[in-house]
Amino acid sequence: MSKLGAVVEAVEKHGLFVLEQVKGARSDEKFAHAVTERWNKIKAETPIAKAPTGLPLPRFALPEIDEPGEIARYLFGEGLPGEFPYLNGAYREMYLEPLREIETGSYGVRAGRAAKSPNGSSEAVAARVSRAKAPERPPLQEEPTRLFSGLMLAEDTNKRFHFLSAHQRSKRLSTAFDGPTLYGIDSDADGVFGKIGEGGVAVDTVEDMVRLYDGFELGAPNFSASMTISGPAPIIMAMYIAAAKRRFGPKVVPNLRGTIQADIFKEVQAQNETIFPTEASLRFLCDMIEWTTANMPRWYPVSISGYHIGEAGATPVQQAAYTLSNGFAYAEMLTARGVPVAQFAPRLSFFLDCGLDVEYIALARVSRKIWAIGMRDVFGANARGQMFKLHTQTSGRSLIAAEFKNNLTRTAAELMLAYMNGTNSCHSNSADEPFTTPSEEWIRLAAHGQAILLEESGIFKHTMNMLSGSPGMKAVERAVEKAILDEFREIESLGGVLAAVENRYQRSQIQNAAHRYEQQIYDGTRPIVGLNRYRNGADEMPEIELARTPRAKQKLQVERLKKFKKKNAEKSKRALDKLATVVERGENCFPALLEAVEVCSLGQITGRLQEIVGRFRPMV
Amino acid sequence: MPSSIRILTAVPICDGHDSAINTINLEFIRHGIEVVYLGFHRYVGDIVRAAIQEDVTAIGISSYNGGHIEFFADVVRQLKKKGADNIAVFGGGGGTITHDDAREMKRKGVDQIFFAGTSLTEMADYVRRQYAKGGKRRASSKPDLALARKLSEIEDAAAKGRKHRTPNTECRTSKVIGFTGPGGAGKTTLIDEIVLRFLQRKPKTRIAILSHDPSVIGEGALLGDRAMMINSQDDRVFMRSMATRGQAGGLSPATESCLALLARSGFDYVIIETVGTGQEALPFRNNLVDQTVLVMNPDYGARLQLQKIVMLDVADIVVVNKTDLERAKAALSEIEQRLTQNKRKQQVVATVAKRHRDPGVDELFELITKAPSSRAKSRDPDA
Ligand code: B12
Ligand SMILES: Nc1nc2c(ncn2[C@@H]2O[C@H](COP(=O)(O)OP(=O)(O)O)[C@@H](O)[C@H]2O)c(=O)[nH]1
Ligand SMILES: [Mg+2]
Repeated sequence: MSKLGAVVEAVEKHGLFVLEQVKGARSDEKFAHAVTERWNKIKAETPIAKAPTGLPLPRFALPEIDEPGEIARYLFGEGLPGEFPYLNGAYREMYLEPLREIETGSYGVRAGRAAKSPNGSSEAVAARVSRAKAPERPPLQEEPTRLFSGLMLAEDTNKRFHFLSAHQRSKRLSTAFDGPTLYGIDSDADGVFGKIGEGGVAVDTVEDMVRLYDGFELGAPNFSASMTISGPAPIIMAMYIAAAKRRFGPKVVPNLRGTIQADIFKEVQAQNETIFPTEASLRFLCDMIEWTTANMPRWYPVSISGYHIGEAGATPVQQAAYTLSNGFAYAEMLTARGVPVAQFAPRLSFFLDCGLDVEYIALARVSRKIWAIGMRDVFGANARGQMFKLHTQTSGRSLIAAEFKNNLTRTAAELMLAYMNGTNSCHSNSADEPFTTPSEEWIRLAAHGQAILLEESGIFKHTMNMLSGSPGMKAVERAVEKAILDEFREIESLGGVLAAVENRYQRSQIQNAAHRYEQQIYDGTRPIVGLNRYRNGADEMPEIELARTPRAKQKLQVERLKKFKKKNAEKSKRALDKLATVVERGENCFPALLEAVEVCSLGQITGRLQEIVGRFRPMV
Repeated sequence: MPSSIRILTAVPICDGHDSAINTINLEFIRHGIEVVYLGFHRYVGDIVRAAIQEDVTAIGISSYNGGHIEFFADVVRQLKKKGADNIAVFGGGGGTITHDDAREMKRKGVDQIFFAGTSLTEMADYVRRQYAKGGKRRASSKPDLALARKLSEIEDAAAKGRKHRTPNTECRTSKVIGFTGPGGAGKTTLIDEIVLRFLQRKPKTRIAILSHDPSVIGEGALLGDRAMMINSQDDRVFMRSMATRGQAGGLSPATESCLALLARSGFDYVIIETVGTGQEALPFRNNLVDQTVLVMNPDYGARLQLQKIVMLDVADIVVVNKTDLERAKAALSEIEQRLTQNKRKQQVVATVAKRHRDPGVDELFELITKAPSSRAKSRDPDA
């Protein structure tokens, strides 16, 4: 049995455990007392803040229950925000506005630290009740808005980064790379010229990396970079580190904050940017995770992604099931390598899609719960390692070309769902998504959509749990959880994640779902406004500026790269030989990569590695 | 019965957006079209070569990552250069291809662009209408093109029930190697790895591959082996994908004649892959091939199953692939034991085809290149 089977058992066991607590609270007076006491204390200690209209509201909403069994079901089954199993949120306060007026209670009293109860013997029970202590709030209140961008050459994207982050307290950049970079190919390679700078930024060398983040304090506590790249992620990661060292010296390394996507499983399943055979890719990935988790404690070296799975056409349940099982497979691989769970688990993060299907009301909530139980009970992770830290992106695929301004509404609805699910950060797509890399006009509206929801509206800023736990949401949660566990069982029966991947299981499931989805559009079971409903007939195309890279820029990139290669001709040979030796020996190749990127281009490194481990053989 | 429409589909270089094309492929197949799918992240040159070898009537390209004007135009240009401008080019890319772009692309020789919001049946109908065979085709002096068309004629004749004159096997100039075995055993992967070794070690050798996928008479088929066979997309390799069109046993009604043609067309080796076969299958009859390779998956079940596999009696080489799997050791010794019954010289090779530079595959390569061809007048140009 792979660890996935054990996760299924753990989740089922947890369900039984919750039922026992419910029964216990109904039959064991002492326990009932402790539970009720804790519940009342949580309520009593919840600060009250006033909305701008003067309406007083608790910072933290709880269901109106007083029966001990139901209280136990809530506390053990879903947990307070920031408490195991984190159904309601990984953190206690999330998007709440900083406190200004407090009428009662105060922030900072740890939930669940029950005072000595009158009949002292309930201590043990109280301890059990409060086992999961609330984690600290992240030290810095950051905007959850994080917009994905990348276009043309490094200096152009740099300009866009400055534009986007000009008014933000925290600088959270999210980088999109162009096709050649995503496939580990140099800009001067045959047949890719027209692709340079299209759909993302062209990065060939450490010098591009320096230009890309120019003007940003890479080691500052309010800076974080996210890089959306997976096939060649270890090489690009090494380039980022090398660029940071060039600008700020070696001391900057432990301070670097950010995320690199790097998730290989979802590449093989959905995004199709794997460049080495699966197992070799996984090995390079683990090399990188091992190195960064040891040397860059604030970096997230893998973003386990369901987004691409969802966008490739998977159902929401398939998306969550494949993403979570991929995550558990990484945990299993890293454990097998001897990386301590306390070292890697807190550095795993997740990335999910949020579309308009009803499952999205609760998808991330259920995912958080399953992850927490699996990590605690199967992998022995501590609280920090149980938390499912989530970045969400609204669905690009739900945005269509016909009457494209409707996309604003679609994205708004999806944002609402994403924040209802307590995502830790979020990207909202621009309405011009079907046509081009977002233009400034629409990207601005996309960013403002988030500000309107989070800052202008009172939906999320006054009260945690504002939209948690309706009967409908609970019903979706139960159905989704069951369906995810069924998927886990299926994958387990195929021999676990890696075996299922190699058998094309996830790919074929996703493709069938995608085909069904498209058919449903045209047979009318899936109403899409402007396409098969309320169509006005006019084939409206937006007057958008298309972000297309001029030839002159593409030429410039090729010239710069050629110069770099010429300058480093001698040194790069030596660095590549050294890298090759390390790879052949089966050692962790990341330190050698760090040296190689100083003098080698991305394509040179990819090419050499492919000579040793081979190229990826695509699956249909 | 009209012969099947054959088209090729692919996604351009540096582009992995395959969701649309996967759906469209499925839809085309449902509408009786044979689709040779080349996969995502494909160079213009690979697309054009494949289209010519497969003798398709049209190429459907799905492009999302930009640069489509140049890419499509380049495909048209290279087709023309190769004398294959009878092959039409069409495609789509959702909203990334604007109406202005589409007009420019049409000026540059692209047939049709489908915009976001086109229904799947509409596209399939278009293909059936526009790309059925029968367009005028100038005779060609280009060898690949002429050979490809000849193969189509054979296939069409077979579809009409007419058997093409089969030249006798004596005129073969190539060594013919047949790969067979259950589906998923690793035949395609192995062949592609063998091809890689030919390309690396034998700079003059030319190879033809005849690969098969199952299909039902009159219905479409997804011919997807090319997508996996990354090494075989090379000017020294001529590959042809065939649908079985209802014939049982692992080959198509036209296989024998196509093979005969390929084997006297100047290739040094012709490699043929059957569809996944069952226990009783004996796909290579009448000296169809010079050397038979049976590829086994170690997960064949109980030892008793081996008794029923007839190919084990006649194969020249038995490959036990996937020896990275747990059951491999047991499988290997069970198969070796089973072969001792036969009392003839059969080779057993253990491979891990999916591993780069696998020594087992090297050994298989040696066996294929060293063994003298039984009767063909072939010789190894690199020997
Ligand atoms: C799904 C999707 C993804 C998925 C792809 C999953 C997969 N395996 O296919 C994921 C999330 C992985 C992805 C990743 C990326 N994507 Co993307 N993606 C999309 C998205 C949302 C939908 C495309 C889609 O498949 N639609 C469904 C199909 C069925 O419908 P359709 O597009 O309307 O197409 C119709 C017709 O055009 C026609 N058609 C299409 N092709 C063909 C071919 C033939 C032969 C025929 C007959 C008809 C036909 O049939 C369809 C049905 O009517 C688009 C934006 C959008 N909303 O369109 C961006 C989009 C295409 N992606 C984009 C980008 C930039 C990327 C990335 C490069 C981002 C990055 N830097 O990391 C990566 C690269 C991935 C890669 N490997 O190449 C950009 C391209 C920008 C540009 N060209 O200027 C877009 C436009 C989004 C944007 N605005 O930024 N993406
Ligand atoms: N574990 C393992 N898998 C392999 C090996 N060789 C091929 N495969 C996988 O087996 C599957 C089927 O391979 P394919 O070549 O298509 O088999 P075919 O149906 O016999 O042509 C693919 O997913 C391959 O990646 C191997 O040596 N070990
Ligand atoms: Mg095959």
